[in-house]
Amino acid sequence: MFLIRKSEVLRLAEELSKEYEVYGPMIEKSSGQTFFEKAGDISDVNLMAPIPSTPPKIVVFPQIERIVSYKHDRQKNAVSIDPDYRVTPKALFGLRPCDLAGILCLDRFFLGQEFIDEFYRSHRRKMFIVTNTCVAPFKQCFCVCTDSGPSAAEGYDLNLTDLGDEYLVEAGSDAGKALAERLGLQAAGAEHLAEKKLRVDRSIAMFEDIAVDSKAWISRVMNRVTTGFIREEVWEYIGNQCFECGACTFVCPSCSCFNVVDVKDPACDGCADRLRSWDSCSYEGYSRMAGGHNPRKPVEDRRNKRFFCKLSYSQMKKYLRPGCVGCGRCAWVCPGDIGLPNVVTYIRREITE
Amino acid sequence: MNKEMTNFVNGKIVNIPEVATIEEIRDEIREVKTFYMSIDNKDIWQNFKFKSGQFIMCTVFGAGEFAVSLPPSPENDRFHITVRTVGKVTGALHALKPGDKVGIRGPFGNGFPFEDFKGKNLIYVAGGIGLIPLRSSIVHVLQHKKDFGRVLVLHGARTPDDLMYKENLKQWQGFEGFETYITVDVPTPGWTGETGFVHTLFDKANLPIENTVAFVCGPPVMFNTVIAELMKRGLGDECIYSTLERHMKCGVGKCQHCAVGRTLVCTDGPVYTFRQIKTLGEVI
Repeated sequence: MFLIRKSEVLRLAEELSKEYEVYGPMIEKSSGQTFFEKAGDISDVNLMAPIPSTPPKIVVFPQIERIVSYKHDRQKNAVSIDPDYRVTPKALFGLRPCDLAGILCLDRFFLGQEFIDEFYRSHRRKMFIVTNTCVAPFKQCFCVCTDSGPSAAEGYDLNLTDLGDEYLVEAGSDAGKALAERLGLQAAGAEHLAEKKLRVDRSIAMFEDIAVDSKAWISRVMNRVTTGFIREEVWEYIGNQCFECGACTFVCPSCSCFNVVDVKDPACDGCADRLRSWDSCSYEGYSRMAGGHNPRKPVEDRRNKRFFCKLSYSQMKKYLRPGCVGCGRCAWVCPGDIGLPNVVTYIRREITE
Repeated sequence: MNKEMTNFVNGKIVNIPEVATIEEIRDEIREVKTFYMSIDNKDIWQNFKFKSGQFIMCTVFGAGEFAVSLPPSPENDRFHITVRTVGKVTGALHALKPGDKVGIRGPFGNGFPFEDFKGKNLIYVAGGIGLIPLRSSIVHVLQHKKDFGRVLVLHGARTPDDLMYKENLKQWQGFEGFETYITVDVPTPGWTGETGFVHTLFDKANLPIENTVAFVCGPPVMFNTVIAELMKRGLGDECIYSTLERHMKCGVGKCQHCAVGRTLVCTDGPVYTFRQIKTLGEVI
């Protein structure tokens, strides 16, 4: 454990920028929104910024990326296929604990199942993660209900906690420890850890007022979603409010469905880039097969698929934690007001009434 | 990076397609062709092993990739796929000629649990091109007939012109211990065989029920009728197998397009028992 003065905290990012591309939360001047992006200038990184509008999963799982390109030389009848494994050392600086939980979900899903996704792995190789404890929740947060905050427990190289005038710097890996030592950071003591605990507890207490509806109901609702004892009318009610815009999936730190298309090179008949891009289970065409047969028709059917992913034990087995990380972005962006906390509320009402 | 090192894992081509050459193309029925092919890389081709019921992802260069079941038997059968042209990519495949290149990933999926079928009677019920994914299993059983009891192949098609694998059907009819029944919905002039939906053959075939496993594949309406009829006759839902078809993009359990219930057709399927299918909460 170490300490760093608040005014000097970006020294960590500066040091990381020698070896890594540094990504961090920055407030866009024109809109006032926070985005988690590559920092051209380290001084733009703002650890006090609110939770970013888009999840940092875009760094490890870009919205659209080329995975393969191939060239088919028809005259020679030869094909060359080149995978696009891009390994760039990247540092995520000032990641919120919920967003780290999202990346851990993606890790277990892309790397921990029967098949390993080499494209995802190439993004995750040589990555340095610095998390930032939320000493106060934002108004849409409910990470205390999904076991993903307000303080990160695992998966970081360094974890920062705002203690007032300084940050507590906890190392979660050898690389993190080495960086702190290289910068000659002052050692922290038991009193600093106690102060952190105090601040985290205070942060948790603040959730009383903001996570009212969803709090304590997530586990009961998970039980219901898993066992399927939810009346069709509840899903219909939820489905009727869905605009099928896909926004919830795009801002979700753990959503990972993707589409794959071969985009032809107009100059070469058999040449194409194979692109993969985010997809959403709320789209009507998501499960439609060639020929038009679509086994999933009504929108409520597709809606309950998404909540099954976020709130079921069988999905938990893949992520080793709930699929929802409590960031509240879906509630923020949903035009139909069926973000995850509201869905929990609707199912809760069914349980209590 | 050595591509084979990370890409060819446990006999499966995982992320990057391997180039294969189309050796021969045969017309089957209207809109359906069979493509005989082999993978160009000899090492990989020798180690490319699949089970009945598995599928591959096939790339048509410049068009895209699609999931397709494997009709050949895993042993002593020429490797091929049989494809109906239904969309952009399968349309592009149909435009190819012998000698042209395609890409192959796989094989993926669970396949049929043949160990569980030893000593049992087997009933294959196939509607139209539903015979394609069952062919692998049928030929495998033909090669190991002594391990099984009665083996019945019941094939129904819309018209006589829509009967799949006509040459095979003829061979199978001549094979001792193989019972093959064929029917069409709409006869054409000159048709002397049975007329009616495929389940109308059940009485004539004197369907075994005890110690029996059924494989059903075909269009949804046929599937539901056949299953209902089999269960009415006393076959348990755990003894009825089918292979599901879903929209697939990756084939390796990542893109989630083929999610059915709590399973993925690409890694948990495509072979399911009807008992499993009932719990998935989705239409066929």
